[in-house]
Amino acid sequence: MNSNGTPKEKFTFSDSEKVEKILSQYPDKKSATLPLLHLAQSEKAYISSSVINTVAHLVDCHPAVVMDCVSFYTMLYTKPHGRHIIQVCQTLSCSLNGADTLVDHMTGKYGIKPGETTTDERFTLMKVECLGSCGTAPVVQVNKVYHEDLSKEKFDDLLESLK
Amino acid sequence: MPLLKIDGREIEVTGGTSVLQAALANDIEIPYYCYHPALEVVGSCRMCLVEVEGMPKLQVSCNTFVGDLPAERKVDSKYDMVVNTQNDLVIQERKNMLEFLLLNHPLDCPVCDQAGECYLQDYSFKYGNAHSRFEEEKRVRPNEYLGSQIVINHNRCILCSRCVRFTQEISGTSELYVEARGYDTKIAALEDKPLDNLLAGNVADICPVGALLSTDYIHKNRIWNLKKQPSICQDCSVGCNIDVFSQKDQVFRLTPRENQDVNGYFMCDIGRYGFHRFEEIERLTQPMVQKGETWEAIDWEEAIQKAADLMEKSNGKTAGVTSPYHTNETNFLLGQIFKDVWGSMPQILGEEITFPSGFRISADRSPNRKGMNDICEIIELDLDSEISSKAINGLYILDDGVDRELDDTWKKILEKMDFVIVQSYAMTDLAKLAHIVLPGLAPLEREGTMTNDRGRIQWLRPSLPVMGESKPDWKILSWIRKAMNKDEQDFTEINEVMKEMGEVFPAYKGLSFFRIGPHGLSLNGKASG
Amino acid sequence: MKSFKPILTEHIHQKDCHTLSFYKSVGGYRALEKVLKMNPENVIQEVKESDLRGRGGAGFSTGVKWGFIPKDTNKPTYLINNADESEPGTFKDRLLMDKAPHQMLEGMIISAYAIGCHKSFIYIRGEFYKEYKMLETAIAEAVGNNILGKNILGSNYDLDVVIHRGAGAYICGEETGLIESLEGKRGWPRTKPPFPAIEGYLQCPTIVNNVETLSCIPHIMNYGADWFKSIGSEKGPGPRLFCISGCVNNPGVYEEPMGVSLKELIFERAGGIRNGKQLKAVFPGGSSSAILTADEALDVKMDFEDLVAKKSMLGSAGVIVMDETVDMVQACLNIARFYAHESCGQCTPCREGTAWLVKMLTRLVNGGGKPQDIDMLFEITDNIGGLIDSSKGSFGKTICPFGEAVAWPVRSFVEKFKDEFLEYLPQETVVA
Repeated sequence: MNSNGTPKEKFTFSDSEKVEKILSQYPDKKSATLPLLHLAQSEKAYISSSVINTVAHLVDCHPAVVMDCVSFYTMLYTKPHGRHIIQVCQTLSCSLNGADTLVDHMTGKYGIKPGETTTDERFTLMKVECLGSCGTAPVVQVNKVYHEDLSKEKFDDLLESLK
Repeated sequence: MPLLKIDGREIEVTGGTSVLQAALANDIEIPYYCYHPALEVVGSCRMCLVEVEGMPKLQVSCNTFVGDLPAERKVDSKYDMVVNTQNDLVIQERKNMLEFLLLNHPLDCPVCDQAGECYLQDYSFKYGNAHSRFEEEKRVRPNEYLGSQIVINHNRCILCSRCVRFTQEISGTSELYVEARGYDTKIAALEDKPLDNLLAGNVADICPVGALLSTDYIHKNRIWNLKKQPSICQDCSVGCNIDVFSQKDQVFRLTPRENQDVNGYFMCDIGRYGFHRFEEIERLTQPMVQKGETWEAIDWEEAIQKAADLMEKSNGKTAGVTSPYHTNETNFLLGQIFKDVWGSMPQILGEEITFPSGFRISADRSPNRKGMNDICEIIELDLDSEISSKAINGLYILDDGVDRELDDTWKKILEKMDFVIVQSYAMTDLAKLAHIVLPGLAPLEREGTMTNDRGRIQWLRPSLPVMGESKPDWKILSWIRKAMNKDEQDFTEINEVMKEMGEVFPAYKGLSFFRIGPHGLSLNGKASG
Repeated sequence: MKSFKPILTEHIHQKDCHTLSFYKSVGGYRALEKVLKMNPENVIQEVKESDLRGRGGAGFSTGVKWGFIPKDTNKPTYLINNADESEPGTFKDRLLMDKAPHQMLEGMIISAYAIGCHKSFIYIRGEFYKEYKMLETAIAEAVGNNILGKNILGSNYDLDVVIHRGAGAYICGEETGLIESLEGKRGWPRTKPPFPAIEGYLQCPTIVNNVETLSCIPHIMNYGADWFKSIGSEKGPGPRLFCISGCVNNPGVYEEPMGVSLKELIFERAGGIRNGKQLKAVFPGGSSSAILTADEALDVKMDFEDLVAKKSMLGSAGVIVMDETVDMVQACLNIARFYAHESCGQCTPCREGTAWLVKMLTRLVNGGGKPQDIDMLFEITDNIGGLIDSSKGSFGKTICPFGEAVAWPVRSFVEKFKDEFLEYLPQETVVA
């Protein structure tokens, strides 16, 4: 069984108009699950059980059904993470263009392996699958932004710039 | 109607039937896990793959439907579909699927409750490999409680998702969900919303392997030690059809038995676990009379005679109290003895619950109220005032049993009586207030018929042996009747009682256990009351 | 090499090419104006005749798919734009959304009109955040200019477009997985039948089309089916965006007619193998296709027919080039690991089989391989996804084509580079 976050505090969306707009766009409430989860994650960094309860209430279904959905997708986080999520693509084209070097560099410099977060919560390192930008490999996604055509040096500069 | 040719056999099917359904209805074995007749088809286990002529890939028979083809497209000009389920290709595929399913499955048969009734075991024997080619590290997870009654062994789970679909479609409670994806997929429930609805026990039944287990039954016995007796649940007026599994004089579990006119494929937890309340009670096994503060055991002849004498002396001022917990035959004989004044105790009501699938738990937690009302021509609803107005001085009561809590009104009534005779299976509060107690059978020892609240008469079959000197309740009443009137027939067999019952009440005419059969008979339109 | 004038990517290097005003200035939305005066049936007919085949990977005839929508249904129809580009080696839809969003939108509106749809969705992969914002802007522009919303361009036709972001799952690019995800559930593909055109989103008739496919539509309606058919291969014609990545000098998206030779693509457009190395193997159609050896690659045309004849497929036209420095076993493991990560877990062979492949290949790479492993790799891939050689009978075992998608590449690695796999076996157990 699962628990995440503190169930005591109730999560409410900061902009109820936005929530209404999202709900009204779909012919069926349940379709609004993913957009609401994205919105919640942008407000609260990760999806706790209070978020799940709130979203379940809004889309009219059982929290377990929302949890089912959340646990399927890699971009929905159910645990806290660093301020900058460094997602290094490891699929073939990026791998052929030095993705492993980038990962090793970060591990060497900041002491975290893929899946781990620095103690100062600055970085979380993740190895991800194809980001859909193979032509500019190797590619790293930091939070919402793609960084393409990287080299070890450019990657190092990028990391340094992220506070 | 479309014509299906399956393994050389010609079968006519209703349009829209799946190949799997057609096969199962005609005793053709196609192995499957995720399919369940009460649940939506998902086609995810891939065990039921068969070869359909004309289709390039093997098809899952649970999701391949037979329909009418236009004449020019029929195979051999007559078949709408031709299917092979036993050729080398299909058998090899079953072997392959089983290999995948068993990759992470532990060799738990010696300690797994499902052994002996496990689809994985059965199909592995028939179609699988004798050894595993998997050399890698297995995926291992600890067991978890999904609810207070259900534990999951993740390592045995084959992710057929029957349990998840059950909580979504049948109970409508959606506690179970699938977590994560790919190789890490597992069944889960939220910690603050565990699987605790009243249909939860069914998920252990529908689990085809030993992953979901009932904590009530876990590690208590083995299926091959148990005797299986089809019978009827006695915990509410729906009358779900069940199988009772027992060994010697102990019941180990109840499981639902399919009856599309009553309970579908399922039963509720109240009925499923209810048998435990009969286990630790102080049973009555000898007729007893009250002697001051103590009870003296006597033999049957003396007991019957004493009871008959008391009732004759009261000169028609004895009232009989029926019970909706007893069979039709028992209530009938009571009614024949006390033709004038009788009734039953106040109804015990629980919550009426209907699940989205239509499965119902009745508010009336007695199994045979309809039968009792049919068989008793007059039920004095306000037995209390009848007793006062007719100056009743004695009562002959069929005890409802351990489910009856005696309220103060009734305690007062009983105290006012010159004599109280109670026919019961335990030293209940009611029995303690009697002058004579006659030991009948406990619910799981009884045989007879019961009529559910939809007018269906069903065959209650005994699962446990009789204890001590207890006698069937109808037999006791037959003796009483004979003792009070020598001309009356003394019944030796229950079907004789049924015959007489049918002569007095036309709706119940012509009944026999054979005719009622394992699924009961609808009496609708015939029974009165 | 004769140079081909791009059609889909004609303007992508120009400033502000993504804006509505630019698109209009180069003739944008003229096709829509024309279509709104046409009978929707005739639009479907034109697209059918053009022989446009889907650009997402499956390559099914677009016009034929549209024709599956029941004519007599009283349920609403939905059009879903599949912008969940996740096939390794593929990055063309991103370019189109970035640089030519209105071309795609125009294609969507025309397609929606043809199938009688009034509410349409763009399912865009969650990682494409910048592209999501671009599309938001483009849609706002369209709404503001009466190109979306009620009474489009003064006609009686209404259409809403909703952008729906995915959240990181390759399987949501499969049409029924996408529909499940759009409905707010986990992206578990559905068994077919029923097909989405009959029972799709919310059990209503639904068409799912790829970004590039939709981007072709305005051009077909502007210049006609015959014009489209005159470009490239006879069967499955039209311009195609080829993505080339891996060990090449100039990776990128190159628009060529269908049927261009792979040799041209790699050695002329993409500048050949980097660092002067030799070509070793190529994925012609994204990682879900069987790899081609260098010899096979130099001899093949990039269209549906020729690649199938070479026992591979065009798929998403994501060309991944591997040179002599690439360890085939490691590449195989890389791809197997991708599929194990993305397997949805619903059906037995894929869920268990993909993980088994990864574990076995990892053990092999770490020196723990056994001789029987090589044959087992063949068997496991067969049991998940079947053989690509349809003369031997292709027996897919899974609910969706994911099974084939993992089986074909992994099997092709082992088949065509068996020696490299054998080299990983501990020496004393190597069988000659």
